Amino acid sequence: MLSVDVSNGLHEELEALALKNKARAIGVALHDLETGLRFSLRGDRWFHAASTIKVAVLLAVFRAADEGRYRLDDSLHVRNRFFSAADRAPFRLSQDRDATPELYAAIGRTAKISSLAHAMICGSSNLATNLLLELVGVEYSRAVLREAQVEGVELRRGVEDHGAHEQGINNEATADGLLSLLSAIRSDFLTTQSKGEVIRILLEQRFNSMIPAGLPPHATVAHKTGEISTACHDIGIVYLPEREPYITAILTEFDPDTEGRRETVAAISEAIYRSLLRTDQ
Amino acid sequence: MTTEFLRPIDGLHLAEEYRGLLRPGESEAGTDGAVHALPRFFYEIRSWEQAHEIRLAPHFTLAELMLVDRREARLLLSQFPHYVPCAILLLARFLEDFRREVDAPVFISANGAYRSPAHQIGGAKSIHAWGTAANIYRVGDTFLSDSRSIQKYRTIAASLGPAVFVRPFGREKGQTSDHLHIDLGYVRLTPRESSEAS
Repeated sequence: MLSVDVSNGLHEELEALALKNKARAIGVALHDLETGLRFSLRGDRWFHAASTIKVAVLLAVFRAADEGRYRLDDSLHVRNRFFSAADRAPFRLSQDRDATPELYAAIGRTAKISSLAHAMICGSSNLATNLLLELVGVEYSRAVLREAQVEGVELRRGVEDHGAHEQGINNEATADGLLSLLSAIRSDFLTTQSKGEVIRILLEQRFNSMIPAGLPPHATVAHKTGEISTACHDIGIVYLPEREPYITAILTEFDPDTEGRRETVAAISEAIYRSLLRTDQ
Repeated sequence: MTTEFLRPIDGLHLAEEYRGLLRPGESEAGTDGAVHALPRFFYEIRSWEQAHEIRLAPHFTLAELMLVDRREARLLLSQFPHYVPCAILLLARFLEDFRREVDAPVFISANGAYRSPAHQIGGAKSIHAWGTAANIYRVGDTFLSDSRSIQKYRTIAASLGPAVFVRPFGREKGQTSDHLHIDLGYVRLTPRESSEAS
């Protein structure tokens, strides 16, 4: 396994980008499957996971299907009522705060597990996430992460669980951890069919203003973004036709209302790409 | 009412795999300790298309009253025939009365009407296993997700007869906060042409 020499400039370039764009912190992890090269800049720093945690839920959902707990074409009752990880108090999600408000039209009816998985990732649906997490369970999902040898991803609750947030119960992740999560997806942890389906879902991501924005048009990215008031992340597998893919996790933290957060992640993505392909603009 | 497709079946004559799930006529103690006999007579439904065609009341199809999710037993979820207790006719009749009172479409949630005794929610202890209960999550454009809406329609439902039970709004056991639960009690219906001799 190669290790990137700091002198190659990537480290300094990313630090400079963080400073220039007023990021409070960044954490970047990279694994190039072409060369075996690994890079980590504060890869062990913990961040609020925001919606990147949905990838952990996705892994658990497909693992449970592989284990025969259900079929992916089974249907689930779409119900907007969940129970807080803090005290089991019921809470509801706000349609206005959800990136996929259209799923709320299905409340009361059913949706297929596969459709919910797609909505959770491609549209970052909070409602789909909490339904699926309720289906598989937090403890099961954590066990799946352990089994997949993913360290650095702490899945503790569903999304928009304000009661849990007030008690400091949050989903957290490191760049190294999220990188290992994507690596687990690429490994033989899931069945071939499930792995293919998970990557296909990640490839159909609708929000493409971060990692993909820093890449040439011929790149395709299986990825998941995550944004809350202070965090702005993107993690993904970058496919380039001329070479093996690379996996990267880019986590950033800003003061609330700081502008240019996504652009910062895109710039980091671009810097990584240039570093790996030794291209200069 | 388009019910000509409905064919009553004595559950005791069903194949063993169905009897094991539907438990026709078996006694079951509720959470309060009271013992009730589970439904014995069912209508056999051969397909989802048929369930959609069968209109139990002017505004309610059978399909609306048997929609369940993966928490139902596999055999009763994805394969046909399905079986629903004959008392589902009474539930549909009541829902039609309710709809007339509220003068708006009434929506029953998934897992919100008939669930078999093998269903993971409540199982045989739930009155939903009698086919006489319904969870209404929406009336017209109103989602029943707050005290005001649930209380409003609870009052209307309760006014339709002393046999009607409606759960109050709340977040404790026996209360509801995102739908209106109504039920007609542990009613079992024996079709006229059927015999209760074992």
